[in-house]
Amino acid sequence: MTLKVVLVGCGKVADQHIAEIQKTFAARMVAVCDTELLMAKQVAVRYHIPNYYTDFDEMLAKENPDVVHIATPPSSHLSLARKALDANCHLVVEKPVALDFAEAEQLVRHAERRQRKLTVCYTYYFDPILRTLRALVQEGAMGEVVHLESFLGYDLAGAFGRPLLADRDHWVHSLPGGLLQNVLDHILNKITEFLPDDNPSVLVRSWQGSQEVTNSSLLDELRVMIVGQRASAYGTFSAQIRPVQHTLIFHGTKNTAYLDFTNSTITLDASTKLPGVIGRLATPFGRSWRHFRQGGKNLARFARSDYQFFAGFQTLIAEFHESILHDTPLPIPYREILRVAAMTDAVIDQLLGAEVLPR
Amino acid sequence: MSVLVTGAGGFLGSVLVARLLASGQNYVRCFVRANSDLSRLEDLRRAYPSACIDQVAGNLASRSTACHVVQGIHTVYHLAAAMRGAAATLFHDTVVASESLLQALEREGGSPRVVLTSSLGVYGTSDLPGSCSITEDCPLDAKPEGRDSYTHAKIWQEQLFRDFATQRSIDLVVVRPGVLYGPGGKAFPSRVGIVVGDTLFQLGGVKNLLPLSYVENCADAIILAGISPSASGQSYNVLDDDLPTVSEFIQGYKQQVAKIPSVHVPYGLAMLASRAVARYHRYSRGQIPALLTPYKTAAIWKGHRFDNQRIKDLGWKQQVPTAEALRRTFASFASLGAGSLRWNSRPTGGDAGLDARTP
Repeated sequence: MTLKVVLVGCGKVADQHIAEIQKTFAARMVAVCDTELLMAKQVAVRYHIPNYYTDFDEMLAKENPDVVHIATPPSSHLSLARKALDANCHLVVEKPVALDFAEAEQLVRHAERRQRKLTVCYTYYFDPILRTLRALVQEGAMGEVVHLESFLGYDLAGAFGRPLLADRDHWVHSLPGGLLQNVLDHILNKITEFLPDDNPSVLVRSWQGSQEVTNSSLLDELRVMIVGQRASAYGTFSAQIRPVQHTLIFHGTKNTAYLDFTNSTITLDASTKLPGVIGRLATPFGRSWRHFRQGGKNLARFARSDYQFFAGFQTLIAEFHESILHDTPLPIPYREILRVAAMTDAVIDQLLGAEVLPR
Repeated sequence: MSVLVTGAGGFLGSVLVARLLASGQNYVRCFVRANSDLSRLEDLRRAYPSACIDQVAGNLASRSTACHVVQGIHTVYHLAAAMRGAAATLFHDTVVASESLLQALEREGGSPRVVLTSSLGVYGTSDLPGSCSITEDCPLDAKPEGRDSYTHAKIWQEQLFRDFATQRSIDLVVVRPGVLYGPGGKAFPSRVGIVVGDTLFQLGGVKNLLPLSYVENCADAIILAGISPSASGQSYNVLDDDLPTVSEFIQGYKQQVAKIPSVHVPYGLAMLASRAVARYHRYSRGQIPALLTPYKTAAIWKGHRFDNQRIKDLGWKQQVPTAEALRRTFASFASLGAGSLRWNSRPTGGDAGLDARTP
């Protein structure tokens, strides 16, 4: 069986969704929808998709899809998702899954009631290096988690930042937490997965760092400190730090892992077994060797055409299709989605309540 | 007479406003983006204290903004377009914004003169022999999705204007400038070649002419298109005479601005490379982007020549000779200092380099 897939919301991320869907064998794109006719049409033409619509209800009625991808601004996710679920469709929803935890919970419960499946576009959740870390944690190689550092850099002059600054009516400006709310999932979903505590304390600080945002209400620097009973975490977002980085550091009781999502590398730092000065001399060589091996592995992946920038998203889509077709467990448990939403609320609540630090 | 210049904060837009004021126009409404560099418009305010430079910032795709900006306008010089970014952004800010402007003009009523600044890139030149001289009668590219995202959007934009003009009452003139250059402009446009790392790869034959259009000369042609009664319904190629070859342009840059590494790739070899890139793009399922394809290469680097007789027949005279324009341009680049100059981008554009792909 081939799943019939439709997408609503033909903005920037639509390209990413469609490109990955068209790489899978289990699904085919049958239609796209956008309230702006021209936007729907141009995507349909570029990706050779047979039909395009401006009316979501009409698309659902005419196409009778199996899966709906929602790539619209988050304020519309819940209402579109309800319609799609009521039309017996499974759902792939862009992050953030909803405006807040309450909406996210409604969405998940509605999917459960309708016995349809739902997943969220945590693009890096199935990134090869994060899957490697997951395997290391499960086999006990990392020991117990002690501390995590999730870092997300941002380029305000990049493909996503530039349109945001050029347009005061851009939907990101209308999110309660602005730009930070739009990117928090990428920082927090790498923390919640490994943090054993359900209700850690959260401390948030934020400010305007870049000159470019001073004429807007956007905050572009964020520090989040999360402290649980047994482990802690830092979340960092920065639009100023160069080079633009996207990393996770996992400090465990046995090993520390460094994950670089930009370059798709994971390296472990274990305590040296060599004594004194010899150990200190050998350590940098050991680190270099581990990076060299990572480079070799990436080269091998490249040769197999497996070194894709959105490899994690590709896996997420494939596993979601597998889950639908063979009723296997969901790629991202609902518990995880809701934990991220709850922690996002905790951060946003503090952001809205706090006085913005001076630049 | 009230005139509107959209994209007035841009490279060509700011020069056009200056030339309009110099020609005696005393009211110019300037539409700019929220984050535009407005220093050039401020300079003009000081230079022409008796003229009214009415500045409106926003997004033209917003219907209410578009309605506001066209009120009481007799002539529209539509230059606003996205120059870079994701395909959807380029399309939205170029085509959807244009549609919004056209709808606003229709609501406003009357038959305003609308001068659309299109591009020489819109022609369907891929299948034409390199020896062919391209006049305004050459058809638009029938496969815009095969071109780069910028050209794709410009072709749709021009088609949108043409369709609108045939059905409704606007007095349309299309101006298709060549490669714009001048102080503050881009050092090496794509018709010269592509930049990989810090090396310029000059693509195409050594005798390929670079279809340059000096920014002041181009602004003069646009103004003429806006005021000439006989221009109604016409299209005009706008490029200078006495054009240098691509090799001469690069040589001039090396002599007068900075030594840069460059490699010449003849057209045949560029075509072979394009086939290889396109094939590998398909084989690897998009592991590398299809920056080069045979279709794009044939359209840009085959060596077509463009004819500018029609704009001359309208009365346009090249005020700044090409040799002088090149001297001014290179002198401007050189004054910025080779050390501070990113030669593969706009010297004053503030290109931030890395383009993070995280939304």
